[in-house]
Amino acid sequence: MSRIFHQAPKAREVILAVALFLLAGICEAVTLPRTTIRALTLPNGLQACLVEDRGAPVVNVQVWYHVGSKNEVPGRTGFAHLFEHLMFEGTTNIGADQFSDYVIRSGGVDNAYTTEDSTVFWETTPSSQLPVVLWLEADRMRHLDITETAFNNEREVVEEERRLKFDNPPYGTVVETLYQHAYSVHPYQHMTIGSMHDLDNARLEDIRDFYDTYYEPNNATVVVVGDMDPQETETMIRKYFGPLERGTHLPTNHIRQEPPQTAERVVKLSLNVALPAFVEGYHMPADGTPDAYPLRLASNILSEGESSRIYRRLVYDKQIALEAQSTGNFTEDPNLFFVFAVMNQGHTPAEGEAEVEAELTRLKTQTVSNDELQKAKNETLRDFILSRQTVQTRGEELGYAAVILKDANLVNTEPARFLAVTPADIQRVAQKYFVAQNLTLVEVYTKSAVGEKQASEQGAGEQ
Amino acid sequence: MSAPADQRGAIPGQMSFRAQRGISLCAGVDRSPSQSREVGAKKNQSEIPRCARNDIKAAARQLTGRTPKGYLFCLAVLLFAPLALARDFPPEPLPPKPLVLPAPALRVLPNGLKVVVIERHLLPILTLRLVVKSGAESDPVTLPGTAQLVSALLTEGTSTRNASQISEAIDSIGGLVDAGADWDESYVSLSVLNDHEDLAFDLLSDMVIHPTFLPSEVERKRKQTLSGLEVVRDDPDYVADAALRRLAFLGTSYGHPEDGTISSVRRMTPEDLRAFYNNHYQPSNAVLAIVGDIDTGEAFELAEKRFGAWTNRATPLIPAASPAVGSHRIVAIDKPDAVQTEIRIGNLGVPRQSPDYLALSVADQILGGPSENRLFKALRSHEGLTYEASSELLSYQTAGVWLAKTFTRTPETMKSVHLALEQIKRMHDHPITPQELETAQGYLIGHLALDFETSEGVASQTLELLVYNLPLDYWNRFPEKIRALTAEEVWNAARQRLAADNSIIVLVGNLSGFEKDLKKLGPVQFIPLAEVDFGSEELVPSGGRAPQRK
Repeated sequence: MSRIFHQAPKAREVILAVALFLLAGICEAVTLPRTTIRALTLPNGLQACLVEDRGAPVVNVQVWYHVGSKNEVPGRTGFAHLFEHLMFEGTTNIGADQFSDYVIRSGGVDNAYTTEDSTVFWETTPSSQLPVVLWLEADRMRHLDITETAFNNEREVVEEERRLKFDNPPYGTVVETLYQHAYSVHPYQHMTIGSMHDLDNARLEDIRDFYDTYYEPNNATVVVVGDMDPQETETMIRKYFGPLERGTHLPTNHIRQEPPQTAERVVKLSLNVALPAFVEGYHMPADGTPDAYPLRLASNILSEGESSRIYRRLVYDKQIALEAQSTGNFTEDPNLFFVFAVMNQGHTPAEGEAEVEAELTRLKTQTVSNDELQKAKNETLRDFILSRQTVQTRGEELGYAAVILKDANLVNTEPARFLAVTPADIQRVAQKYFVAQNLTLVEVYTKSAVGEKQASEQGAGEQ
Repeated sequence: MSAPADQRGAIPGQMSFRAQRGISLCAGVDRSPSQSREVGAKKNQSEIPRCARNDIKAAARQLTGRTPKGYLFCLAVLLFAPLALARDFPPEPLPPKPLVLPAPALRVLPNGLKVVVIERHLLPILTLRLVVKSGAESDPVTLPGTAQLVSALLTEGTSTRNASQISEAIDSIGGLVDAGADWDESYVSLSVLNDHEDLAFDLLSDMVIHPTFLPSEVERKRKQTLSGLEVVRDDPDYVADAALRRLAFLGTSYGHPEDGTISSVRRMTPEDLRAFYNNHYQPSNAVLAIVGDIDTGEAFELAEKRFGAWTNRATPLIPAASPAVGSHRIVAIDKPDAVQTEIRIGNLGVPRQSPDYLALSVADQILGGPSENRLFKALRSHEGLTYEASSELLSYQTAGVWLAKTFTRTPETMKSVHLALEQIKRMHDHPITPQELETAQGYLIGHLALDFETSEGVASQTLELLVYNLPLDYWNRFPEKIRALTAEEVWNAARQRLAADNSIIVLVGNLSGFEKDLKKLGPVQFIPLAEVDFGSEELVPSGGRAPQRK
């Protein structure tokens, strides 16, 4: 596969300032390990971020395509994810389903996932497999070969996935309902899995167009973390990905942004579940923006650990909920800050909502103590450190920083953004975002066991 | 960024910084069922279609060997040259790197507590994991769920700290605590940043040695557990697993739900919990693993300081071995609002220490593991009937079951059942191929490097050996043992387990969609979901009406 490169520019090698920083307040003895990133851009637009990590003889490769379900148009929901499945169905060079075999016979694992914003393919293998994996990824970036049979088959597989994760389990459709109502124009309105109707209507003809639009080197970022020499890996990347031609019709920003919500929206669902529940979604800003950091810490204060406020109030003290949590779904475009609870038997969603409201009000009216904020920061830093334990989670963070946050070096600098948050910041974001006009609420009621039993008994009597 | 759907069982090593933990309402979508790399986690992948490339490689090998047969082979391949030459092939891998497994330091304290230390200085983090070698299998027969409730209460109060003080102490230093009970073990683990090691040892030993089982805390956990049990009763995946377990592990101490039943959890008293605790939580029945950024000498010192005074009461009562497992039957649980049917097929397996365990593990890889997965190929790759089809060995101290599982849309239920049974029959009737063997061996051996990547991984691999009394050099010898297995040995191990044609089949779904065809398979026991009682070996309330056979 050796070809002549077009004037390969010297790697834009980013050697980041060596600055092991101490985490003031958390513990003097702990230093966060720094990540040295070798970043490069090929003439065809492909980006790559390489990190050497000799902790174990394993390597993780990820290819991030900057396309997710938010790039889908009405009537074509679920297409980005369906396409992800097709990427395993063979190329002009290797047969259907051979891809994973190359990985697995070495002891490695591979998979892929699709989110609202991106589609990510990854492999974690013994480090000796690195050239094989890079070749395989380069191969399927431009040489996919999909048959009608494979397409129809995978569509059915994806429909089973939808049934498994959304249609069959208890509470499976609650979040889908929330997004349908919280968004009116932005494509976050629909789930990444897509609607059954649209999946049914997906056509093979659409495949080529989607592939040629989004699966191009200039829309992709290759991440390699692990037991490898970055210089040698760069050579391999140039060899395998370099010959691929730059795509020509990557669409520029066509995503309609959501207008501000002006009034509270409430949806009531009656489901075949044992316990009532509710989910609140407050619109909040995109990930990486200044307000995202205090919001993340607010989420910790509200529900991280058994000493957190919402857990304490709803689950421990009042014992009205089985589980109660808050969490932000931080994404490239503005998304929702969730608070949800599954109520204990005999307790209504309204009771839970009132208790959550009391906690949100407390956050808005009283500044958190320095100790409580420090606790939230410590938890964040712990997660930050734990996420560096495997080459795969390191690759994940790196790809996310590079592709979604547009700054790979955030894997080093982001903790400082959390540490800089003050009690006043927490109060300010709570006052700004946790307001009724910004809220969509989904209440889940049970088709009560008693009621249903009576109904079916009555039904039987009538027959 | 959506979190992967299955974050519940994530261990710290798998945690993504942005991942959500706890109950996740935001389901992500993956190409294959499991995105996790947990130790022992399965991911289903498809069988490789043998293609021209392998033929060419084989031919090339033959050619260099200069056997007459080799030339013929090569000629045959050349006939297809136009097709073959149009293709490009992946490069060869780099030479494999030797895997050096960390050697854990082991010391037994005078009270019998085994202490294992694994130094890992890559990150400033320390994990302590205390394992008691008794889990749900040691639940009193009438009180399933005892082991889990006991472990859940360890974090809820000691003689010197109440529940709030414990959670406050852990949360304020950014610590992460987890307590639970599985089969054959109960555990508490605590991860902290390394400058809080003394507090970590203090807290962990306090929770393990001095729990109080305060009635008010027992009531809280009881209520929470009951709510959880009510929710999962509507989850077809849970119901299918629990029902299959009940039937397949019939007559053993592994048949009940490990999280208990609504009736057993209602009945448990603080005294029941204390009795379990007193019997099983003893240093001679426990292992403490210390992994991470700590010096071995210091680790032993801290272990001695905090756990040295822990005393034994009496020899723990361990349930008697009863390797009998259930025999052929078909149970269908009706959930009329289901759009998919959960399918479970149980067959004989082996206990963890069985000499056949490794051979059967290879067979299991071929039937439903990540490599050469026959079930995945038959049900997903070829037919698009499911998102997942896999098998696994449930291998415990004294009993084992070989489980196959899948699910499908209601109208395809019987087709899927037949295809899965066909693969099980094929495993019994026909030898496995050399290629299948080679791929399964390659996966199991190569995957060790991934299993030992993190401190948590090293700890779990080591603890498994200590819980199941396996030799400490087990993993070092694992590659040579796997490589030595022949196709014949692997097939024999599988064939023996499948010989009785003993498949236990459990279906959970909308019966009206497949009831008629199911009956053609044999006598079926039909149970409406609301009537299922996991507390009973018959799955219906004992003393109630006889199972309804149609």
